[in-house]
Amino acid sequence: MAAPVPRRRRRPRLATPALLGLPLGWLVVFLLVPVAIVALYSVDVLSLFPGPHSFALGGWYRLFHQGYMSLFWKSAKMSLIVSALVVATAYPLAYFLALSGTRRKYVLLLLLIAPFLTSYLLRVLAWKVILGDQGVINSFLSSVGLHPLSFLLYSRFAVMIVLGYVWLPFVALPIFVTLDTLDRRLLEAASDLYASRLQAFVRVTLPLSMPGVVAAFLFVFIPTVGEFVTPSLVGGTSGYMYGNQIVDLFQQGFPDWETGATLALFLIAVISVLTFVFVRFLRLGEARVA
Amino acid sequence: MDVALSRNGRRIMRVFFGIVLVFLYAPIAILLVFSFNNADIPAFPLSGFTLRWYHAFLHNGDLQAALETSAIVATITSIIAVALGILASIGISRSRFRGRGAATTLLLVPLVIPLVVLGLSLFLLFHVLGVQLSILTIAVGHVVIVIPYTILVLLPRLEQIDRALGEAAYDLGAGPLTTFRRVTLPLILPAVVSALLIAFTTSFDEYAVASFLAGTRQTFPIYLYSALRFPTQLPQVIAVAVVVLCASLVVIVAAELWRRRAEARLEAPA
Amino acid sequence: MEGEPFERRLSRADLLRLAALAAGAGVVAGPAAAADAAVARLTQESGRLQVMDWAGYGNDGGQAMFAAYVHQHPQNKPQFTHMTSESNALGQIHSGAHPDLFRPYVGWVKYFAKSGLVQPWNPSLIPNFKHLNKFMVKAGQFNGKQYGIPDDWGFDSILYRKDKVHAKEQSWSLLFDSRYKGKIAWFDDLEMITIAGLYLHAKNPWNQTSAELSRSVTFLKSKKHLARLIWASEADLDQAFAQGDVWIAYAWPNDWVQMKAKKLPVVYMHPKEKPIAWVGMFMLLKGTPRPHLAHAYVNAWSSKKSGKWLEDNYGYGHANVQARPQSSQLLRALQLTNPKAVTLPNAYLDRDIPQRAQYAQLWEEVKRA
Repeated sequence: MAAPVPRRRRRPRLATPALLGLPLGWLVVFLLVPVAIVALYSVDVLSLFPGPHSFALGGWYRLFHQGYMSLFWKSAKMSLIVSALVVATAYPLAYFLALSGTRRKYVLLLLLIAPFLTSYLLRVLAWKVILGDQGVINSFLSSVGLHPLSFLLYSRFAVMIVLGYVWLPFVALPIFVTLDTLDRRLLEAASDLYASRLQAFVRVTLPLSMPGVVAAFLFVFIPTVGEFVTPSLVGGTSGYMYGNQIVDLFQQGFPDWETGATLALFLIAVISVLTFVFVRFLRLGEARVA
Repeated sequence: MDVALSRNGRRIMRVFFGIVLVFLYAPIAILLVFSFNNADIPAFPLSGFTLRWYHAFLHNGDLQAALETSAIVATITSIIAVALGILASIGISRSRFRGRGAATTLLLVPLVIPLVVLGLSLFLLFHVLGVQLSILTIAVGHVVIVIPYTILVLLPRLEQIDRALGEAAYDLGAGPLTTFRRVTLPLILPAVVSALLIAFTTSFDEYAVASFLAGTRQTFPIYLYSALRFPTQLPQVIAVAVVVLCASLVVIVAAELWRRRAEARLEAPA
Repeated sequence: MEGEPFERRLSRADLLRLAALAAGAGVVAGPAAAADAAVARLTQESGRLQVMDWAGYGNDGGQAMFAAYVHQHPQNKPQFTHMTSESNALGQIHSGAHPDLFRPYVGWVKYFAKSGLVQPWNPSLIPNFKHLNKFMVKAGQFNGKQYGIPDDWGFDSILYRKDKVHAKEQSWSLLFDSRYKGKIAWFDDLEMITIAGLYLHAKNPWNQTSAELSRSVTFLKSKKHLARLIWASEADLDQAFAQGDVWIAYAWPNDWVQMKAKKLPVVYMHPKEKPIAWVGMFMLLKGTPRPHLAHAYVNAWSSKKSGKWLEDNYGYGHANVQARPQSSQLLRALQLTNPKAVTLPNAYLDRDIPQRAQYAQLWEEVKRA
């Protein structure tokens, strides 16, 4: 007698979207709701000090009329420069790793990324030692008879170089991934059609890697706009940034949670708009290339 | 002929890469040097070799407590974040439904949130709910930060695994949980370990959000930052942090290499 | 003894029992110790003492200050939360933190006393109280009650390198001297507005009129480019000074001691407009379940031994007039032989700022400029 044939059960969706419920729930409760609360603080519906209060736009008025906007623009400019430079530096590195066929590419990639996973504060501290008036660079300059540079530390320059240093490893990864998944046959086809390497790069590689580049740019730009740790440690007087202002309103002087929340909310709004615009741009780019 | 790089191009790139690596690791080397420096303040010129900072750490109760606190927070964070990451990755990779793009976006949003905003908003959340700040509140914030990293490590691995394996198990009578336990999990184990390590090291080192959400117990980065306020504490904290830094570097590199080897072996034809 | 009931549930019966115990025990042992032990036993304060203090004063280096307390009350060892500023402490307290005591500085005493968040101390429970500097003790009083117990103190003045800087006069003007652009460090606190007011001869720098405030703020904004660094932590300042990044800085006496230890030729100035003096004040929170333990802790802090340790190790002055540091340089810098050092005519003791919120906002404005 033959073995019984198992009746084919109806296959339920083994991985239903319900699985996403828990992680999404976490983010709703601990990301979306808190942002809503920030919004409520910014309009004084919620407040630090007990007592009567109601909807008021004082925080928003102050945001636009008391110099916070120029501070925001100053921070955004610094982030733009840092992000552009970091992406420009990381691109050749990622290109080299992904497309040169080097055998040890993953190990090298790892070496590139590993510093990002180590102590952030300490790396900033180390730069203070390097950039100081008697630090590594300047003592070297003095020893060869040159004048020491004083703009290296406690300046916007210091903030930018440290932020660039901190984010460079992180940025290499998305560009690398994009270039790594590039179909080399396209390049070979270009070569077959008598295109030079440079032409192949400009007309094939670069456009196809754009999504990765844009993603990398955003990955640096957005967090650095709100940075406060690095500016507070190496920024000096002129390196005071938007993120510092937010923290100060909560931690220093005298608490002003309403204005602080307003500044934070403004930052979130700008970032959301930016991300939305860039993603749109990416979609259009992909559609065009396809 | 190489279609991407000429021979000279390669040479230049190698040099450039080398320079960048030096640039990346030099500050770390400098810290190493100063952890042995016999002076209160990390500044040149050097003042002689000493091991006393490493010794002083052994008597600094608060420093040890901070390390312990960070370890606990990081452990909690990595377990929760990886568990959620596994659920999310399975959910995204195995099914197609209308809101999939939006769900994925939300899960990856923490990657681009400025930490000052995240820390601040969670601080206000706990203030409104009357929840006292503690190790758990820090862990909550860290899980939010880390979930995208876990997904970015687990999702590619899940998509790599042949779906047919899972379906075959199902056809042989295994329920979803058994399938997960005996088929999926062993196959993604290297990625899970990787995700745990990334989550752990990220949480251990995180300062910005923790500074808003810490209660009576300080994490190590918070301790480090406030050590900047007291010059006498700084050298021993640097000594400890150098140890932590080197340890995490070694662990990460070794683990990644192991992961690649393990996955390659899992994929290799029998 | 003053049977002042603290803000907790002590019934009338408890009070009578307390009095009887104290009276009886007082015959056998010293009065304060007996009261202390009796009350502790009676009211059974339990759990660890919750102390909110600045970095470096807890188990992260300050253990010697309260070692006597830990010895006496091993079951109630202190547990520390950190405050990074009084504003931060205020936020924490409103957010549900429940320390038993904390340590703002003298300028905040009036604010907290009026806020309803704190309660006065009972000095008779603090045997070392009588050794504390009288002027500092007075600064901790409000409405006749002792809200603040002074502990550490020092000056705010200017530290400068005499080999690099030629000071035209001993004045706060050196912080704003355009000859030394890029070599100056300011302090990250609204106190800079007070200092500007002091320098510009405002009638009361701690309570400037809006015209005076406007003048101070404009002045600071115009001079900000001369300052390389606005320091928030001493380690920052010390490192910058030691590395030669700054030659002139707003600084505390300890910074002078540190720089001299690094063999730098530095001067700690006594400006003609007078330095400002600051004093740390322990304050007791209302509704704390461990008031007597808090008093015992403050007592341990106020001892001569603790005072000497603080001066020798942290370079700050201590309110106990018997505490003398080993370093004669520190002795000089703190003018410890002069009990009136913190007050006129030598210095202006920091005090309450009625418009603190506005000063804070204006200082942020200066930083943004």
